[in-house]
Amino acid sequence: MNRNDKKYQEFRKKERKRKINNLLQNLLLTFFVVLFAFPIYWIFIGAFKQKGEFFHYPPIFLANQFKFDNFTRALTLGGSKGVTDSLIVACIGTLLVIILALFTGYGMGRFKCGGQNLSFFVLSLLFLPPIIAVLPLFIIFKYLRIVDSYIALIWSYFLINLPFAIWLIKGFIEDLPEEIESAALVDGYSRFRAFWKVTFPLIIPGVVVSALFVFVFAWNEFLFALMFTRSNVRTLPVVLSELIGGHGIQWGELSALSLVAIIPGVLLVVFFQKYLVRGLTFGAVKG
Amino acid sequence: MKEISTNVLIGKNKFAKLITFPSVFILIITVVGPFAFLLYASFFDWNLTVPAPPRFAWFYNFGLVFKDLRFWNAFKNTSVLMIAGIITQSILGLIIAFLLNRNFRLKKLAITIIALPIMVTPVVLGFNWRIIYHEHFGPLNYIIRLLGGAGSSWIADPKLALFSIFLVDTWQWTPFVTLILLAGLQSIPRQVYEAADVDGATGWQTFRRVTLPLLRPMFVLVVLFRTIWIFKIFDPVYILTGGGPGIATETLSLYTYVSWVKYWRVGYTSALGIVQLIIMTIIAMIFVRKIMRRRRA
Repeated sequence: MNRNDKKYQEFRKKERKRKINNLLQNLLLTFFVVLFAFPIYWIFIGAFKQKGEFFHYPPIFLANQFKFDNFTRALTLGGSKGVTDSLIVACIGTLLVIILALFTGYGMGRFKCGGQNLSFFVLSLLFLPPIIAVLPLFIIFKYLRIVDSYIALIWSYFLINLPFAIWLIKGFIEDLPEEIESAALVDGYSRFRAFWKVTFPLIIPGVVVSALFVFVFAWNEFLFALMFTRSNVRTLPVVLSELIGGHGIQWGELSALSLVAIIPGVLLVVFFQKYLVRGLTFGAVKG
Repeated sequence: MKEISTNVLIGKNKFAKLITFPSVFILIITVVGPFAFLLYASFFDWNLTVPAPPRFAWFYNFGLVFKDLRFWNAFKNTSVLMIAGIITQSILGLIIAFLLNRNFRLKKLAITIIALPIMVTPVVLGFNWRIIYHEHFGPLNYIIRLLGGAGSSWIADPKLALFSIFLVDTWQWTPFVTLILLAGLQSIPRQVYEAADVDGATGWQTFRRVTLPLLRPMFVLVVLFRTIWIFKIFDPVYILTGGGPGIATETLSLYTYVSWVKYWRVGYTSALGIVQLIIMTIIAMIFVRKIMRRRRA
C-alpha cells in the first residue's frame, strides 16, 4: 500500500509537471502565432482607418467602423487599373505556363526526355537572381518594341514560372506508376490519348496547385513589372510602389489596396497549405 | 508483358521530344540569348549616358567590380542578411516546429496562421512594415515604450536599418523554415523515440542524438533555399529603405538595379550580373546535386 502510494505520488508529480510544461508550450506558441499574425492584422485594420487615425498616438489597434471608402478611393487612384492588369498578366501567363509545363513535365517525367542535362538546366533557372535577367531582357524588349506591354511582362514571367511549373508537374508525374499507361496503350490508345484520358485526370490536383502557385508568383512579382512597364501596363505591385513613393503617402488607400493584393496569397495558404512546402521547395519535400 | 514494354517504347522518343520541345525552346530563347548578350556586353566599356560608342575593353569592367567599394558594401550587406537570417530562422523555426508537433486543438488553425506571411506580396510587406516601424506613430515603438524603452527610428538609422530588413525577412521566412522542419519532425517514426526511451535517453539526449541528426536533410534544404532567396532579395529592401540611408542597406540586387537604372552603365552592370551569376551557379550546383541524388534514390 505504501509503495503503491509512493508510485501514485510520483505519477501525480509527473503528470503535474507534464501539464505545466504543456501550458507553457501553449503560451509560447500563442505568442508566436500573435507575432506572425500581427502585421497581417495591421494591413487589415489599416484598410478601415480614416485619414487621421494613422497619425495618432497611441496607435489605434481596433477599427472604429468598417466603411469601404478607402477601397473606393484606392480604385480611382490607379487601383482598378492595377487589379485589372495584374489579373490579365497573371491569368494569361498562368494558362500558357501550365499548358507548356504540362507537356514538358510529362515528357521529362515519363520519358526522361532530355535526361540529366535538361533537368539541370531547368532546375538551375530556378536559382537565377531575376535582377541579372533584367538588363538583357530590357534591351531585347526595347529592340522588339514591346517594352510596356502585356507580352513583355508575360514573357518575362516565363523565366520565373515555367521552370517552376515544369519541375513541380514533373514530380507529380513521377509519382504515378508507369503501368497505368501501359494498360491503356495495350487497349489501343494513342500516346496522346493515354496521357489525356489516363494520366491527366490523375494529376489534376497537382496541376491545380502548380497553377495557383504560378498565379500568385505572377500576381506578387515586382521587379520585372517595375522594369518592363511604364504607363500602358501597371500591375498592382507597381501601382502600390508608386503610391508609396508619391508625395504625401495615402496610407488608408494604400492599406486597402494592400489588402486586395494579398488575397490570392492568403487564399493559397489557407486552402492549399498541404502543398505549400512541396511547392516552395520545388518538390524536394513531399510533406 | 514483354510486348507491352516494347509497345511503350515504340514512338516514344518522337512523341516525347515533340511535347518537351516547346517550353525548352521558349526557355532557351529567353535565357540563352540574353545571357550571351550579358557576357558580350560585360567586355565593353559601354555607358548609355556617354555619347561615345561602346569600346571593347577586355576585363576592364570586372576589374572595376572588384575595386568598387559599393559592390563590396552590397556583398557585405547581402552576406550579413544571409548569415543572420539563416541562423535566426533555423533556431526560431525549429522551436516553433517543436511547439506545433504536438496534439492540441486548433493545431491546423495555428499552422495556417503561422504560414500566412510566406505568400504575402513583398511590396505590401515593405509598405506595411514601414508603418509598423514608423518612429512616432508605429505600433512597434509604441510597444517598446510601453515596456519602458525609448523606441528607435528603425529604417532611418544607418546602424539599425539593415537589422530592420533582417527582421522583416525573418518575419516572412521563419514560417517557411518551420513548415519544412515540421514536415521533417512528422516523418520521424514514433518507434525511434520509443527505442530511445527504452534505452533510457533523457529528453535532451533524444533531441541531440536522435531528432537533430534525422532532421539534417531538412536543415540542408533550409540553408540552401534561404541562401538562394536572400541572395536575390530586392522588393522589401526597395520599398522599405531603397538601399538607404545612404547605402547602408544596399543589397547586390539593389545595387545592380541602381547601377543600371540610375547610371545606365551597360558594360559595368553586365559584369556585375556575371559575377552574381557565377556565385549563384556554384551554390546551385551544390544544391542540384543534392536534389538529384535524392530523386535517384
